Amino acid sequence: MKTITLTINGEHVSCTEGSSLLEAAQGHGIKIPTLCHHHSLKPVGACRMCLVEDEKTGRIIASCVTPAAQKMSVLTESPRVLKHRRNIVRLMMAEHPESCIICSKGNRCSLRQYAAELGIGETGLYPIPNYRNIEQANPFIQRDLTKCILCGKCIRADHELVVTGAIDYNMRGFDSRPSTLFDRPLEKSTCTFCGTCLSICPTGALSPVSIFVGTPEKEKLSFCGFCGVGCRLSLGISDNQVVEVNPAHIKKSVNDAALCVRGHFGHDFLNVKQRMTKPMIKKDGSLSSVSWAEAIELVADRLTQIKDKHGPDSIAFLGSSKCANEENYLFQKLARIGFKTNNIDNGGYISGRLMLDLIDTRTDPGRRFNFFAGTLSGLEMAEVIFIAGADPSHSIPVAGYYLKRSVKNGTPVIVADPRKTEMAGLASVWLRLKPGSDLELINALSALIYRKNVYADSFIKRFTRGFEKYSESLSSYDLDRAARITGISIQEMERAADLLVGKKIAFMVGDGIIKNRYGMETGEAFLNLALMTGSIGYGGAGFHFPAKENNQVGAWDMGTVPDKLPGRQPLNDSLSRTSWEKLWGGEIPHEVGLDLCGMIEAAEQAKLKALYIMGENPLRSLPDRQRVLNALEKIDFIVVQDILNNETSKLADAVLPGAAFCEKKGTFTNMEGRLRSVSAVVEPPGDAKSDFEIIGLVAEKCGHTSLKCSVESIREELSKRIPMYEKGRSNFHPVWIKEAIDSDPAEEDDRERLISFSQVVTADEEEADKEYLFTAIIGSKRCHLGSGTRTGYSPRIKAFNFSDAIEISEQDSKDFGISDGNKVRLVSRNGAIEREVCVKKNIGRGMVFVPAAFNGNDAGLLIRLTKLFDSTSEGWNCCPVKLEKI
Amino acid sequence: MKPAEIDKEKLLSIIEAYRNKKWGLIPLLQAIQEEFGYVPPVAVESVADAMKMYPSHVQGVITFYAGFSTEPKGRCVLKVCRGTACHVKGGKSILRMIQKDLGLKEGETSIDYQFTLETAACLGACFVAPAMMVNRDYFGKLSPPKVTSVLEQYRKDKGDN
Ligand code: SF4
Ligand code: SF4
Ligand code: SF4
Ligand code: FES
Ligand code: FES
Repeated sequence: MKTITLTINGEHVSCTEGSSLLEAAQGHGIKIPTLCHHHSLKPVGACRMCLVEDEKTGRIIASCVTPAAQKMSVLTESPRVLKHRRNIVRLMMAEHPESCIICSKGNRCSLRQYAAELGIGETGLYPIPNYRNIEQANPFIQRDLTKCILCGKCIRADHELVVTGAIDYNMRGFDSRPSTLFDRPLEKSTCTFCGTCLSICPTGALSPVSIFVGTPEKEKLSFCGFCGVGCRLSLGISDNQVVEVNPAHIKKSVNDAALCVRGHFGHDFLNVKQRMTKPMIKKDGSLSSVSWAEAIELVADRLTQIKDKHGPDSIAFLGSSKCANEENYLFQKLARIGFKTNNIDNGGYISGRLMLDLIDTRTDPGRRFNFFAGTLSGLEMAEVIFIAGADPSHSIPVAGYYLKRSVKNGTPVIVADPRKTEMAGLASVWLRLKPGSDLELINALSALIYRKNVYADSFIKRFTRGFEKYSESLSSYDLDRAARITGISIQEMERAADLLVGKKIAFMVGDGIIKNRYGMETGEAFLNLALMTGSIGYGGAGFHFPAKENNQVGAWDMGTVPDKLPGRQPLNDSLSRTSWEKLWGGEIPHEVGLDLCGMIEAAEQAKLKALYIMGENPLRSLPDRQRVLNALEKIDFIVVQDILNNETSKLADAVLPGAAFCEKKGTFTNMEGRLRSVSAVVEPPGDAKSDFEIIGLVAEKCGHTSLKCSVESIREELSKRIPMYEKGRSNFHPVWIKEAIDSDPAEEDDRERLISFSQVVTADEEEADKEYLFTAIIGSKRCHLGSGTRTGYSPRIKAFNFSDAIEISEQDSKDFGISDGNKVRLVSRNGAIEREVCVKKNIGRGMVFVPAAFNGNDAGLLIRLTKLFDSTSEGWNCCPVKLEKI
Repeated sequence: MKPAEIDKEKLLSIIEAYRNKKWGLIPLLQAIQEEFGYVPPVAVESVADAMKMYPSHVQGVITFYAGFSTEPKGRCVLKVCRGTACHVKGGKSILRMIQKDLGLKEGETSIDYQFTLETAACLGACFVAPAMMVNRDYFGKLSPPKVTSVLEQYRKDKGDN
């Protein structure tokens, strides 16, 4: 790119060709006031605050929309510029209402700041405020458009960043305002309450609804504690409490100026009275507060006794997909070295770690290249995107914005989903398959691509084995049968195959697959398709798995799983084992331990005597609550270390109050594999301590003094032993992505490391259920995360009263005489729930959509608890149900 | 009398004809206004869908142009000129007279949907000032008796179409 040199305020500066004058100035630390400009929005030049004077021509120009030109010379603070700038601010202030003085945007209002800087108190103009109603019926965003200066940032953020289109300019001239369709209140529009517009608004026209008034004492950077996108946040803090959340607006960060409703408004759960503040132990059947010393002593004594009496495998450890890497690492070390058991898992079991495992072990045993797609920004380069069984607009909203932006930029997108999700509505091809039939769809697409004779030939030859056998089964594959099972015509499948052919695919594979009863087979089918098309994690292609929890990937990497050691090293690989044993100075048991489901089964059989749970709420998050409850009740001693009183903690014999993400230091790994370091920006409430410290105390009391150490020493250990957690990578992609990008796959030719195709497995063709006529699909809504423990406590999310209604099709509503607002009982072979229904256009006949996480996550009652990926599993995402009107 | 009910099918068929046409929005809105006399709000979402735009954006375009109306108008739309030439020639009293005669203020439509009264900045007919338009017809060199007879004429025409 060409470099341009010019003079700003007499200083020589340079910038790349195409930069605006404003960017050139900012690049050299020269400040120019702006109101309508934002680094990630297209410039429009609406406010004229950024005026500068061209010394040669004497023209006054808006620097944000004027490209820097060679040998230009501009002044940013000349008397003429200042005079004009002052006038502009005076005019804006004349239109501003008196309530400006008590505005909660306070000193953070850019307009007020500039007015003060330019010394404008009284405007000396006749005030003509343009009064509007203040809109504040919703618990998130207050709109007082009287204070709007028409900079258009909210509109551009809504269109360009979050791609929602809830608002746009309406009317003209004096009446002109950003407005929703038909000027309805936000809650009656398509607004998702992501709050992106609110944080970007330079004035008090848009402000957060909050019990806190005024400007926070300080602002600190952090990361969102909810989903695996791991958005960068700026936390507003007053009196040791997080009182406001905004996106950090950091260029090139995963979210930049955007957030979702959870991240923006849901963090008020941090200050609720249900936070655990004191250690408690069960005395005479009820929990009562005790000192830390007493609680730790009880935990250590009981765990040791149980181990001595019943053996190491009578104890299990449930780590957390929400706790930091160092904490999970220490936790599994306590299990493996301290208690000599591999009975260790984390909540990621529920949200997809088995699929991550499958792809990882099948493709990357030698860590050559990886099939994980890496950064979300790669989606912008993707040749074609294939979304299956995922509704990213709800599960991982900020990643959803990337997908919507890709659609806008013309990237072809295929969506396979029984429901018309937001992405399905925008897709080039929407494959409206029958629930749970994904396996046949993927097989069929592979067969079609194979028959078109366009596949990644040289890639297959060089890096894979077993293609011949695989392709044989593709050539004899029965497409008509697939069409019957999936409910998609061969022509439709052809259309999708045509889009995929010859391209490297970026996959977004979600719950619909991960919790499918053919989860493993479907995962293999996807892998075959990826191999055949050469879609490795490179150039935007490869797999994305929506991580529901902020440290789902990290907990997995840390070895908080029954069959892997830290760094995803297989437990049954003696080389890996010995290397960790050496480091840890103790023996690691050989047998693979119990996974989360296994723990419940073992508890049922009274084989599990003690369970140490850190930051998980299995009684709420697992299907089949009654069965889980019965199982947990059989366990002699349960420790719950958490931040909120919840369903599971009520059963505990000891409760240890831990710290939330912003109350401790540690690192988290987001769904892209980016490592993010957090520090304590507020103190944990009451006597609560960081989870790291608590594990250390327990370990010490049990006699494992080496485990009582500092976060830094663990970080050191990690960076030495796990290549992808190497030092200095704190904000880069871990090595695994880097390697994939740097290595030239064509250079390598190692027969040992060829990735094999798996055989085509087909699903059984089933008869329709005569009694349970509907298929219930269980899925998430963006207001709640996972099973909703934390978001369910958020005062603002509660106040909005998001609908938990079961969604049914128009056709079924007519046929069964059920209309909007009717109450129904939904009965499966496993259980029943009662809710209102809501008639929707985006769902087909014979299906109902059940939003998860509401009402204590009662949707789980419908599902039978079976081991995911097991041949006997019925899957967790859908089940046959019948509908009874009540 | 009420404004005619919107013939939904008619509306959708107009919209369909413009689906996926590039730069089709303004011509489509014009076609709808031509047919119904205004752009009914119920059209917004279907138009947005066909044009692959946000409904809020379509609404913004409609409300930006004075030429589009979101409310039904009378059978006869009067545009009385308030331009300089007409003003000098007494346009103001012509307007006042019409307001009184029809009992309408600017921008209003009579309850029987016969008349809508609007004003314009200049009708481009300054040489015959003071001027006004009724639907597509121009009337110049207006005087009180002429105005009365024009209005009378349009009142009589009632029901002819
Ligand atoms: S509401 Fe705020 S961001 Fe939107 S146009 Fe008005 S001042 Fe700008
Ligand atoms: S909150 Fe988000 S979705 Fe709603 S108007 Fe603002 S940017 Fe758009
Ligand atoms: S997308 Fe995920 S990480 Fe980002 S704000 Fe929302 S919940 Fe938080
Ligand atoms: S910042 Fe340049 S015109 Fe608004
Ligand atoms: S001023 Fe009336 S027509 Fe021009």
